[in-house]
Amino acid sequence: MQASKAASVLPDEGARLGFRLTLPAQILVLFIAVFPLLMQLYISLTDWSPLSGTGWWNAWSMWNSFANYTDLAADARFWSALKRTAIVMIVCVPAEFLLGLALATLFADEFPGKRIFYSILLMPMMVVPAVAGYMFFMLFQSGGPVNDILSAMSGFPVTIAWLSDPTLALIAVMVADIWQWTPLMFLILLAGLVGVPEDQIKAATLLGANPWQRFVTIVLPKMKTIIIIALAIRVIENFKIFDTLYIMTGGGPGVATETISVYIYKLTTQDLIWGYVAAIALAILIVLSIAAVFAMKRMARVREVAA
Amino acid sequence: MSTIHLQNLVKKFGDFTALQTMDLAIADGEFMALLGPSGCGKSTTMNMIAGMEEPTSGKILFGERDMAGVPMGRRGVGFVFQNYAIFTHMSVRQNLAYGPKMRGAPKAEIDRRVGAIAEMLQLTPLLDRKADRLSVNILQRVAIGRSAIMEPAIFLLDEPLSNVDAAFRAVMRTELKQLQRQFRQTMVYVTHDQLEAMTMADRIAVMDHGVLQQVGTPLEVYNNPANVFVARFIGAPGMNLLKGWLAESDRGLVVDLGPLGATPPLPVEIADAASRMRGEVFYGFRPEQVTLAESGRGLCMPVSFVERIGARTIIHLGDGETAVKAVFDNDVGLAIGQTAVVAPAAEAVRVFDAATGLALRAG
Repeated sequence: MQASKAASVLPDEGARLGFRLTLPAQILVLFIAVFPLLMQLYISLTDWSPLSGTGWWNAWSMWNSFANYTDLAADARFWSALKRTAIVMIVCVPAEFLLGLALATLFADEFPGKRIFYSILLMPMMVVPAVAGYMFFMLFQSGGPVNDILSAMSGFPVTIAWLSDPTLALIAVMVADIWQWTPLMFLILLAGLVGVPEDQIKAATLLGANPWQRFVTIVLPKMKTIIIIALAIRVIENFKIFDTLYIMTGGGPGVATETISVYIYKLTTQDLIWGYVAAIALAILIVLSIAAVFAMKRMARVREVAA
Repeated sequence: MSTIHLQNLVKKFGDFTALQTMDLAIADGEFMALLGPSGCGKSTTMNMIAGMEEPTSGKILFGERDMAGVPMGRRGVGFVFQNYAIFTHMSVRQNLAYGPKMRGAPKAEIDRRVGAIAEMLQLTPLLDRKADRLSVNILQRVAIGRSAIMEPAIFLLDEPLSNVDAAFRAVMRTELKQLQRQFRQTMVYVTHDQLEAMTMADRIAVMDHGVLQQVGTPLEVYNNPANVFVARFIGAPGMNLLKGWLAESDRGLVVDLGPLGATPPLPVEIADAASRMRGEVFYGFRPEQVTLAESGRGLCMPVSFVERIGARTIIHLGDGETAVKAVFDNDVGLAIGQTAVVAPAAEAVRVFDAATGLALRAG
C-alpha cells in the first residue's frame, strides 16, 4: 500500500520539482514577452509623455481612461495612413508574388547563364533597406536615371518630379519595395516549385494536359502551403514598410506616402505623445495578431490535408 | 491496340551511347518485357517509345505510323511510373478523370467512363478517397486505370513493382497479368527482375550495355541463351560456365576443362556447330540440371559452400575460374570440404565461343 502511494505521489513530485527548477526561466520569458505589452497597455491609458517630467511608472497621475482610443477612432490621419498602408500592400504583395512565380517558373528549367542570373536576381534582397532607399531616392530625382531613360526612349526631355508628386511618390515607393522583395518571393516559390514531383508532371503530360493545365492542376495545388507561407511573410513585412520609404520620401510630399509605421515614427520622435503612440501600436498589434492567427489556422489545415 | 516496331533505334547522350542500333518488333496485344541490369538502356528505350526522349537516329512505328515528332501527350500511350506518380492531392475519382477532363470531354461522358473503369478495376468503393493514403496495389490499379481510361493503344510500365516489398510482389504480379488479359493491350514492361519478366511476359528482350542481347519467350531465353551474358543473367543462380578447349576424343568431340578433365562427349547438334571453330569455349549448364554421379562420370570438385533455402539446396563447388553451382531439390548431405562429382544432363549442355560469347548452335 505504501508502495502504491509512493508511486502515485512520485510523478507529481517530479513535475513540481521540474516546475520549481524552470521557474526562473519561465519568469524571464514571461517578463520579456509580457512586460512590454503590459507597459504599453498601461501607458496607452494615460497622457504620459517623456516631457511630462515624471517616470513612466507614475503615468497613472495622467490617467485618461480610454481617451487615446477614442481619439484614435476619430484620427483621420491615422485612418488615411492605414488606408495607404493597405493600398501599398494590395499592390506590392500580389505584384511580388506574380513576378516571383514567373521568375521561379523560368528558373525551374535549365538555361545558359542560369547561375549568374540567379545570383544577380537575389542581390536586391541583400541590399540594406536604407541603402536601397538612397538608391531609389537618387534614381527618381527629376534629373535622375529614370527620367534620363524615359527621355532617351521617348525622344524628348522628361523631367517628372517623381518624389514631389503625391501619386507618383507612392508609385516610386512601391516600385522600390517590389524591386527589393520580389527576390524573396522568387526564392521561396522556387523552392516550392522544384519540390513538385517531376513524374506527376510527366504523368499529366502523357495524359494530354497542356502546360497551362499542368500548372493549374498539378503545380499550383502542390505549392499551396508554400504559397500561403510566402504571402503571409510578405503581408506582415509589407505592413511594417518603413526604412526604404522613409529615406525616399519621409512620408511626403505632405502625408502622401505616410504609412502606419511612418506615422507612428513621427508621433514618437516629433510629437512625443507616447501614450497615444502606445494606443496605436497596441491596436495594430491586435489586428495583425488576428490576421496571423487566421493565416496560421489556414496553414495548419492545408498541412493536414497535404500530409 | 497496336504493334510497335523499333528500327535501328540509337540514343546517345553526348559521347555516351545509351542504346545501340536496336531492332525490335512487338506484336499486337503482346506483353513484352525489357529485361537487363541498370544502365542497360531499357528505360531509355521505354522513354523513347513514350516520347519523353527523342531518338538520336532510327524509327519508332506504332502500327504503320512513324512517331517521330509526335509529342508524348498525343501518342496514345499509357504510362505507369515506377512510383505510380498518382496525383496525391486529388481523389481517386479525380485521378481517373484527369485525362478525359484535360481533353475537354463532357462531364456526363467523363462520369460514365470513370464509372466503367472503376467497376473493372474494383475501385468503385474507393472513388472518393484521397489518393495519398492508398495501399500500393490500389495505387497500381489507379495508375493503370488513369491510363486505361484514355484507351491507349500501348501500355508502358516502368518497373512498377520495384518499390513493393517482396511478399506483396507475387500478388501484384498476378493482378497485373490479369489486368493485361482484361485490357488485351500491347504492353511493354521494363524490369531488372528476371522473375517478373519470366512470370508475366509473352516474350523477353534481354539487354545489356545498350545492346539487345536476345529476344524470345521466357523458356527460350532460359533454355537457349544466345550468348554468355544472357546465360549468366537469366536464372537464379545463372548458368555455370567453365572455360575449356574443344578436343577430339575416341568418343567424339569433348571440351577439355584442364584440371577438371574432359567433359562427356558433346551432343551431336553442338558438335556439328563446334566443328567449324577452334579455340577457347565456355562449357555451360544450368545449376538445376545437374545430378550427383559416380567418380569418373562427371566433374570432380570440392564443396566450398552450402546454401540451404528450404525447398532447395545450392551447393557451391570449386572457386575462381572453375566455380560451379548445383541446385538440388532436397538436402543431398554434402558438407564443406567434401568432394562431389556432378554431372550435367546431356541435353542441358550449352557451349559458347569464348571469343565472341555467342552460343554454338546447329545450323
